[in-house]
Amino acid sequence: MSENAVSLTSPRALRTGLSRVAAGRAATYALVIGLLVLPFLLQGSWLYTLGICFANSIGVLAVSVLVRYGGEVSIGHGFFAAVGAYSVAILEHRLGISLLVSLPVALVLGVLLGICFAWPSRNLSGIYLAVSTMALALALPEVINNAGEWTGGFQGLYVSRPVIPGIDMSLQRYFVALVLLIVVAYGLDRLRHSRQGLTLLLARSHPAAADAFGTRRVWARVSVMGISCGIAALSGVALGFSSSTVSPSGFTLWSSIFLLVGSVVSFYGLSLPRALIGGAFLTLVPQFLSGSGAWIPVLYGLALLIVILAGHFAPKIAAMLRRHPEGL
Amino acid sequence: MTGFVDVVSGTARDLFPLIWSGMITGCLYALGALGLVMIFKCSRVVNFSHGNVAGFAAFLIFGFSSGTLLQLSWGTAVLLALIAAIAIAFLSYAIIAPIVFESDLTATIATLGLGLVAQGATLLIFGADIVSLELPVPRFSTSFLGLLITGYDLTVLAVTVVTIAILFFVIDYTKLGVAFRAISSNPFAAEVCGLNLRSVHIFAWVVAAILGVVGALLIVPTTFLSSTTVVTFMLQAFAAAVVGGFSSLPGSLIGGILIGVLMNLFTFYVSPEFTSTFLLGVILLALNIFPNGMLVKVGGSRV
Repeated sequence: MSENAVSLTSPRALRTGLSRVAAGRAATYALVIGLLVLPFLLQGSWLYTLGICFANSIGVLAVSVLVRYGGEVSIGHGFFAAVGAYSVAILEHRLGISLLVSLPVALVLGVLLGICFAWPSRNLSGIYLAVSTMALALALPEVINNAGEWTGGFQGLYVSRPVIPGIDMSLQRYFVALVLLIVVAYGLDRLRHSRQGLTLLLARSHPAAADAFGTRRVWARVSVMGISCGIAALSGVALGFSSSTVSPSGFTLWSSIFLLVGSVVSFYGLSLPRALIGGAFLTLVPQFLSGSGAWIPVLYGLALLIVILAGHFAPKIAAMLRRHPEGL
Repeated sequence: MTGFVDVVSGTARDLFPLIWSGMITGCLYALGALGLVMIFKCSRVVNFSHGNVAGFAAFLIFGFSSGTLLQLSWGTAVLLALIAAIAIAFLSYAIIAPIVFESDLTATIATLGLGLVAQGATLLIFGADIVSLELPVPRFSTSFLGLLITGYDLTVLAVTVVTIAILFFVIDYTKLGVAFRAISSNPFAAEVCGLNLRSVHIFAWVVAAILGVVGALLIVPTTFLSSTTVVTFMLQAFAAAVVGGFSSLPGSLIGGILIGVLMNLFTFYVSPEFTSTFLLGVILLALNIFPNGMLVKVGGSRV
């Protein structure tokens, strides 16, 4: 906030700031075009991996929204992703409905459940949300496994109905996830500049001021959780569709914690490139370490700690270097 | 009429042993919850690595006494594992120390990273196998008013009572305990008065580590030891802490015993498959009914 105020006072700083924003926009557009062309250059398994990477990126965005706008942390977003994934899979199995119809259903379910879930801890400090989401993530597998008639139990369900019949399924798996990611990232960009988004940010950073402007803190907290859980449900939709299976092993407490790791690794960024960094970290690390699974939690834990400590110390070191430009 | 009497006496016959064994496991949940609450009270950080570190220590005891790592007597193994847990607590605190005063949210996220490392280390060293870790308690059992009381029950009860008595004595009567209470109620004023926040934080982390190891050691004989058991045991501890209000030590004790009894009744009468879902329901209900814990009468927001 204060940095913006400073940059607005000097025209030169304003100009460099604007050109940096413009450059960032151009880079994002280039990235989007590159990703849209990519499937015509790449083959088979890479398309599959990238589709899952986009789905994970959406999940990372969901967690980052909660941290950025709500100042809260959830380690149970796997639950809301599962809601999205299972609504697609169950609607396809029971009613033969394609993604075009089940996607809005999943989104609405995710938002509603998020609001219901944020309600009990609406007046309490953020740690209660963290603890209750942890319980949610631990309860999820036993619910899925015991509702086997609907969810397919341990084995899960297949998602195989195409969105547009006649087009190669591997292309569809790639593009559905990519389009969802772009839409979510664009929506978040708009939210940041909208009146509602600014109100939510104000309610987070200055609750008393927001109260004075007529924004109730409870409303802000519950709606941030609703937005975040809706995005998480979309990530579940993308994950279910692009990996073509939905099973309880994909939605454990660990997968929820990993989403948080991805969010931290992308510095809670809400832009498309940052989300892709988080998603790629979550998708590619297990691929490279597939031979030695036990190293994955160690590596993720270390990455989390290193990024957090770097985020803490980097500004201090930079300030020290500015004070002693000729070296220490 | 006789049918009704039968049902009542049958229920009574089931009920008392269920409540008794629920109280025993509840004591262990309380030990886990006390560790969480101690750290939260003085530093506002929720230690999500508690279960993973305690599980790692339980595995160390197994490794030191079974010959996987070393072949030592049980007592030496426990001592070594305790020392290791305390060392891990020091290390954990050293890692999050720079962030604690800046943002308790970031520090809480950092404890998740610590938990991931502890979990991965357990998997790397001991694998994902299930092992059994016995407790050298006297094999003894007696019947009292229809209750079957075993040596294990009495051991758990004795250890819990002694541990909690020592803890409350330290907090009530020693200088460190007074500093702990001062910092919990008003960190700023405590610092102005010249108290060292860091030493109190380290005290809380070390006590929590010891309580976690004791709890894990005592809970393992009832189930078995795998890389996930102690972590799920900690969900009960979290639920106990929430029911107790998360910042009250007696509250978490009562919460632990309550959770133990309720869990036992639920698994026996309703379903053994939905225990985590049940705990989730208890947590949500507790947050709605007494947001600041059972021992606080007035509800309201905590700013």
